[in-house]
Amino acid sequence: MRSRVVEARSFEGRIAIGGGLEHFSTWGMSKRKRPVSTGPSQDLSEHEKTVYDLIRSKRDMGIRSVDLRRDTKLFPNPNVVDKALKALLAKNLIKQVKTVQYRGSKHYMATEFEPSAEVTGGAWYNEGVLDTAFIDLLKERCLIHISSLKVATVDMISDAIKRSKIFHAECSSQQIGEILRTLVLDNEILEVKSTGLGEFTCIPIGRVCFKLARKPGSAKEPKAYAMASIPCGVCPRIEYCSPDGIIKPSTCEYYNKFLDF
Amino acid sequence: MATQWGIKYAVHIVSSHFGDLAAKICECLLRRGPLSQQNIARFLETPPSQVKTCLLLLIQQNLVQAFTAKDPGGHGDAVKQTTEYIALFDNIIHRTRFPKFIIVVSQELEKGCVELFEGLLQHGRLTLEKLIDRAKSGKHIQENSNIENAVRENLSKLVHAHFVERCPAIEPVLAPPSEDELAAKKRASRSLKIAAGPDIVQRVLEAAAPMESKRFLFMSDENCIDSEKAEASFVDVGEKRKHSLLASDSDLGIKEEVLWRANYEEFLRRFRHKACVENVRERLDDGAAIALSSMLEAGRRLESKLKTETSVSVSINAIYEEAMKAEVGRSMTLDDLRDYLTLLECQKGADESYSIDLKSILELAQNEEVESIVLKKYGKDSYRIFRLLSKEGHLVETDKISDTAFVDKKEAPKILYKLWKDEYVYMQKVTVMGNRQSQFVLWKVNKATLWKNVENDMYHAALNLSLRVAHEMEQGKELLSLPVEKRVGTLGEKVNRLRRIRLVLEESLSKLDDAIMLFHVF
Repeated sequence: MRSRVVEARSFEGRIAIGGGLEHFSTWGMSKRKRPVSTGPSQDLSEHEKTVYDLIRSKRDMGIRSVDLRRDTKLFPNPNVVDKALKALLAKNLIKQVKTVQYRGSKHYMATEFEPSAEVTGGAWYNEGVLDTAFIDLLKERCLIHISSLKVATVDMISDAIKRSKIFHAECSSQQIGEILRTLVLDNEILEVKSTGLGEFTCIPIGRVCFKLARKPGSAKEPKAYAMASIPCGVCPRIEYCSPDGIIKPSTCEYYNKFLDF
Repeated sequence: MATQWGIKYAVHIVSSHFGDLAAKICECLLRRGPLSQQNIARFLETPPSQVKTCLLLLIQQNLVQAFTAKDPGGHGDAVKQTTEYIALFDNIIHRTRFPKFIIVVSQELEKGCVELFEGLLQHGRLTLEKLIDRAKSGKHIQENSNIENAVRENLSKLVHAHFVERCPAIEPVLAPPSEDELAAKKRASRSLKIAAGPDIVQRVLEAAAPMESKRFLFMSDENCIDSEKAEASFVDVGEKRKHSLLASDSDLGIKEEVLWRANYEEFLRRFRHKACVENVRERLDDGAAIALSSMLEAGRRLESKLKTETSVSVSINAIYEEAMKAEVGRSMTLDDLRDYLTLLECQKGADESYSIDLKSILELAQNEEVESIVLKKYGKDSYRIFRLLSKEGHLVETDKISDTAFVDKKEAPKILYKLWKDEYVYMQKVTVMGNRQSQFVLWKVNKATLWKNVENDMYHAALNLSLRVAHEMEQGKELLSLPVEKRVGTLGEKVNRLRRIRLVLEESLSKLDDAIMLFHVF
């Protein structure tokens, strides 16, 4: 999945043709739910039925294998549970899902359910992991459009992204809004209110809009202020430092590097 | 109240400038509060005569203030009066800002004023007579009358610009707080849940301060004044009469004359304005910075205290007039100015006068300083989380933080715990009883506590920078003592490197001092 997103970023003209289709076509759209079945059509052994009923009762939350063994009281014979799980998987009555909370452990769910946001982490997660590559791509597009528009509302940026047809799936204004909020937290953009004057002429007075935080052409990294510019300001050992201590300014290694011209 | 590292930095400054005993006295007073001369001598195990000499020096340099403490005593006992001393932490730190003060004076007044001002900084406080003597020394006797007139004129200019002020009373009497005042203070500290910190320094300074009408009053033919006559001519009805001790009554034997000293408040006011203007320039643009600078300049004389939350309300015409004085502002039209003032979100009065919320601008500057530390120390994800909590201003749950800041749900708690361990964020655990017990962890940025910690760290860093400069200069002593003609080749490179090191460290210290003012003074 992630490699497809990387492809998408470097070969934007080919996104619609080549990679990333599967990923982008499902993202942002409500996931197709399969009809809820009333019960397994195949015959199940007693153990398989116990395990299946428990898994099904957890609906879209699913259950970890550890919790499953505890709840079905089939412990101290874990092999029985494992055998039942294997059979149910083979019969396609249950599926294994990746969760954001318990990435190391196996998590099972009845096949008719789609995992909830609490399990998957939400729309921005892909197989239990935050899809940072896709998020970075969206952030980049937002910055490009804000840079070109100078000042823009969420809707203006959302429309610009839709028109660019970079992505197959539509990102809702709400989702673009979430991306913009994180760009504000990154201090890449500022959230301001339109005054209706100057650069805000096209935007109604009072509407929330966004503009670049730094002037075009200025350094990409945020400015380092006084404390962040000196070794002591960001020193991990500052609490152990004293004029006559083992860690002291006259022999400090960080200072030696700082003054190594 | 001075922080731990603030005290250490102050002690280092006094030690560098006046020696160990002076430093120990200051440290004793800063840590223990007001003390009499006898108690200082007892704590330091030093002869009282040495303590007295040092105290005189420190008072001369405006680092210590004496006052008479009145002890009402028990039933039937006479009122007891003792002379006690307090160390002036802020004035000690201001000593590192003298070069900045001199730059301000040199930008506005001519060389003669700068020299006079440097003399006042060097000697702490001087009478007009002493200033004249100082100017005359080393000059021909025929020039004396010219020098005298020049000194009077220059002093007058310095006083008029508020760069120099009359010294406070040498030993004001401090009455104990009344029962009403004590009760009010207790109620305030209970409701605000703050410890009733030492306000004794503030009370002493207020008691010692000259009346505002006298503070910048310079009479060209005065040398010393009859204190009782001067008090009588300036006392207003209902205003508390400030009682100065005469020579024979003074514990220190100082004769009262008109003493002049640098007025730190004026310089701090200008630095405060400059900090606001630079912040606006960084966030908005040069035009907005010019508009703000002009507004603050137009209203500067009318500010009654340093830490005003809102600037003085000034008319659009006065702002425009000020903007026209600077070359960069001359291309601005009145409408441009109005647009900039709107962009700055100034409050507009009925008669088209404007004022601005300075407190908000300074808070933004403080936020930027701390966020910059978090970014450099902990990385981008931590930076986003910190900014989120800082903006929210209330407790936020871990998952909500992770969702809003786009930090992986597994990583967010690790980052938050790290920030919590270093006291950048506050944590609270909440247990919700329902079908099953759930525990939530909530986080917030507690600015009051964090800002104090940052200020403390700044003093620590300032002390470290000072010590490192001293160490480098000590190490390079021999190199620096080489004659110029020998500073060639490798030796020349080493000398240049040493110069560069000193420049970098001193510039860093100057920049850090601006940040210290942002957190402590402004």
